[in-house]
This record gives sequence, structure tokens and C-alpha cells, in this order.
Amino acid sequence: MIPIEKTLIYSVIAVYLFITLAPLLWVLSTSFKANEEAISFPPKLLPDAPTLDNYLFVLTDPKLVTSLFNSLLVSIGGTGLSVAVSALGAYAFARFEFKGKNLLMSTILGLFMIPVVINIIPLYIMLANVGLLNSLLALVLTFQILIIPLNIFLLKNYFETIPKELEEAALIDGCSKLRALWHIIVPMSIPGFLIAAILSFRFSWNEFVLPIVLSNKPDVMVFQVALYQFISLYRIDWGYLTAGINIALIPVVVLMLISQKRMIRGLTLGAVRG
Amino acid sequence: MKLTLEARAGSLQPYLLLVPALSILVGFLLFPLIWNIYISMHNVSLTTILGEWKYVGFKNFSNLLSDPDFHMSLQVSLLFVGGSVALQFFVGMVLAVVLNQQIWGSNAFRALFIIPWTVSAVITGFSFKFIFSDSFGVLNYGLEQMGLNPVAWLSDPGVVVWTLVIANMWHGTPFTVIFLTAGLFSISPVVYEAARIDGATKIKSFFYITLPLLKPFIIINLILITMWSVNFFDLILVMTNGGPLFASTTSSLYMYRQAFEFGLLSKGAAAGFLLIGMNLVLAYSYIRLFRRKERTVETRQM
Repeated sequence: MIPIEKTLIYSVIAVYLFITLAPLLWVLSTSFKANEEAISFPPKLLPDAPTLDNYLFVLTDPKLVTSLFNSLLVSIGGTGLSVAVSALGAYAFARFEFKGKNLLMSTILGLFMIPVVINIIPLYIMLANVGLLNSLLALVLTFQILIIPLNIFLLKNYFETIPKELEEAALIDGCSKLRALWHIIVPMSIPGFLIAAILSFRFSWNEFVLPIVLSNKPDVMVFQVALYQFISLYRIDWGYLTAGINIALIPVVVLMLISQKRMIRGLTLGAVRG
Repeated sequence: MKLTLEARAGSLQPYLLLVPALSILVGFLLFPLIWNIYISMHNVSLTTILGEWKYVGFKNFSNLLSDPDFHMSLQVSLLFVGGSVALQFFVGMVLAVVLNQQIWGSNAFRALFIIPWTVSAVITGFSFKFIFSDSFGVLNYGLEQMGLNPVAWLSDPGVVVWTLVIANMWHGTPFTVIFLTAGLFSISPVVYEAARIDGATKIKSFFYITLPLLKPFIIINLILITMWSVNFFDLILVMTNGGPLFASTTSSLYMYRQAFEFGLLSKGAAAGFLLIGMNLVLAYSYIRLFRRKERTVETRQM
């Protein structure tokens, strides 16, 4: 590679790295400032007197703590349900020939393109009618529409990389289909399940539109909504808010950093076979 | 061979395996989608939701089409979607290609670049609201230090859409980077090697090898980021709540505000119906556009 090319490449990377990280670092720095200092002008790059008070406030405010707990519950529930349900469906696509298979697969992928936003009004009316409005269950169920199509796609591709012969041997030994799935496919697909689970968690943890419409009562509020309500109720305390932002960021950023390499490979797998 | 997997074709098993996933998708995605049409033709508001609904025909649609705020929202959407898609696609493509070169640390950079995509729209919104703040924002401070005039990022009706486009670029570009990287990985290095031996420059191989081979990825990527931009409103809700006045109310936010701010669920449903139409038209035109290009290339080659 000629030097000019290299310089150009690294400058592009450096510029975008700055764009990517600067807002996050700024928010991180602000979260250690007292509320008054957070909006002082001219702004200070680093806090004068770094404090953990903002984090303490967020982690002891009963409303916010409840919402953090709700977010965890809904995200774990949503992830578990979606991975289980998608695994069954993906197994059907990966290992069976059946009528309408291609049509079903493209319908499911097509459904992924339907924006959830359009459905919020009918979903709201529907859940109000069956009495599920303002419940965590409603969130776990509705979050599925965000993730099932993607999970079926990812897991199907993963299952297809596992040699069929292994299962056939088990079937000859008298194993049932479902047991073959549980004892052979599942253990061999742990990496695939991990990607699916991490993506599901990210979608559930970050989702805002569905919860703000479907469950915005204090005891069933999720963290993203609580942060939003938090600012609209009082004046914005940027110290508290930036601390809340960082608390919301930690789980997903950690999970994504761990999994990014596998994720790209998972997508490529789909592409090559797609 | 009786026990091989294919031999069982036609059995009910695969359908049974699909029942849980499909019933959730039908119940919470497909049924509401269709029911939306019914709702848009009735008179449902937050107060009458559990009571009786009156059939009003196309009145919600005609109300919508004669509402100047809705017209405004279409314009705002056009700018927001156009700006977001152009910026995200261009920057995402440049980054994906740059990271695909043999350079030191490309995996680490890729991991860092993905971070904004893991950040929720609400949090992106808050962070940028803070940075772009007219009174204490760090960005205006930086501009002042450089001797430039501060900009009313969030309160100038002519600027606010572009502020949102920038925030959306930060949030959305990583998806294009990941997606196109996956596409670039699927192109065999042998092809480039052959082109290099034949004397093709890097720029030439980008336009004549990379782009055509990447096309399926590009189409899907464009469709996805366009639809997401059309429907994206959490970021806007947090940053400006559609204001000042309606200057940053996109059509999707208009739908949300009609339904849950003013309680007019049916009018919102009608707006949602038009949004679906918008999505379909856009997706269809991308596919058409790329097909036509393919045809012209083919004829040129002949």
C-alpha cells in the first residue's frame, strides 16, 4: 500500500472515530459532574470535583430502580421466548422439506420490514380490549415481532452448517426429532444461539416506542421510558440524566463488543447461503 | 433410507414446529396491520376506545389530506429521510471499504464503530440534545472558540431537521457499516487479484467489481435504512418533540402525536396507513431503479 493511501485511510478512520466516541465520552464526563456544573458555560472537559452522586441518585430512586428491574425482566423474558420459539421454527426451515417453505420464509423476512410504529395504534386498542395494557407480559409478547424474523434467519443459517449425518445417526438409534434437536443441534449451535440472544437482548433493552405506548404506568415502566418521563416531569438535571444514560448503555455495549466479530460472520453466513 | 430426514417430507412436523413463531407474528404483526384499515375507517379516540365505534368511511383520510400540519410533515419527512439515507449510506460505504483494506487494527476499529448502533434512540436523542443545546451545548462553544457564530441547532426551524439528520447519522451509520462489511466479506479476494494482474487500479476495481457484486447488499441496505428513517421517531420525540411548532414533525411522529397527544386514534391509524404506502412505494422504486440500471449495463456490454 502506498503511503498516501495509508494516510488517507487512517485519517478517515480517525475522523469517524472522533465522531463516534466524542459524544459518548462527553456524556461520560458529564455524569461525574454535579448538576450545576453539567450545564455551566463555558463547559469544562473534565469535572472539577468528580462525584458519584449522580449514579447514587439513579440507583436509589425507587421509580428508576423499579424500571431498571422491569427492563431486565422484560429483556430476559423476551430474549428467552424469542430464542426458543425461533429455534423451533428455524429447525423446521433448516431440516425439513415441506410445501410452501420458501414462501413462508420470505413472508417471515418480509414481515421484518413492516415497521412496528405502524402497528402501535392497533396494538394499543387490541391490548386495551384484552386487558393486557400496562403489563410486562404485553411487552414480552410484542417485542417478539421485532426479533423473531431475524432470529429465525440467523438460527436457520447456523443449523444448516451442522452436518445432517450426526442427526441421522441419532434418528437411526431411535431418537425422536425433538430429542435430536435438543441433544445434538442445540449443543452444537451455542455460538449461534449466543448471537441471537445478544441481538434479542439489545432490541428488547433499547425498545422505546412499544413500551411508551403500551405500558407507561410507574410499576410497569421500563428504563428507557423512565428516563424519558424523568426529563419531562422535572426540569432536566443533566448530571442525573447522563448517569442514567451510562447505566442504560453498559449492558448492551458490553454484549455488543464481545459479539461483534461473530455477528458479522453470522450475517456473512446468511449472505453466502442466502 | 426410511429414516433419513428427507423421507419424512410431507409430515406435519415442520408446520407444528413453526406454529409458535407464526402465531405470535400473525397475532401481533399481521392482524394489527390489517385491523389498522378497519380502525382508520371508524371514529376511535382514547375516550371511546372501549365503547362503541362509529363508522365514518374515509373521513379520517380526507381530514388528514386537508391538514396543513400533515403536508408540513411530509416535507419534513422528505428532508429527514433523504438526508439520513444519503449520509448514512455514503459514510457507511466509505467506512466499510476503508476497514476492509489490509490495515492494522481493523477489527478493533470495527468494534468501536458499532457502538452507536447499540445505543438506543432515546439515549442518542438525549446525548445530542445535550451536545446541541443552544444555551450550554459543547458544540456551540467549540464553534465560538473557532471564531464562528453559534447555531440555534434545536430552535431554528430551518436548521432543526439537519440537526436530527446528524444525530440519526451517528446512530444509524454503523448498521450500514456492518451490513456492507458482511457483503464485502462475501466477495472472494481472488477476483481482485485477477483484476490487479489485468492492470485494474483500485478505484477501477471498486466501481467495476466491488459495486456490482455488492449490489444485492446495497439494495437491501438501502431499503432497510430508508424504511427505518421513514418510521423513526423516538429520536425526534426526545430531541425536539416535533418542534419548534411542527418544524421537525415527520409523518411518523405526526401519526404518534395525533394518536397519543391529541387522542385521535383513528386519524393516527389513517396516517399509519399512508406510511405503509410510503414504505411500499419507496421499496418498490429502489428495486425498479436497480433493475433498470442492470438492464442498461447489460445492453452496453452487448
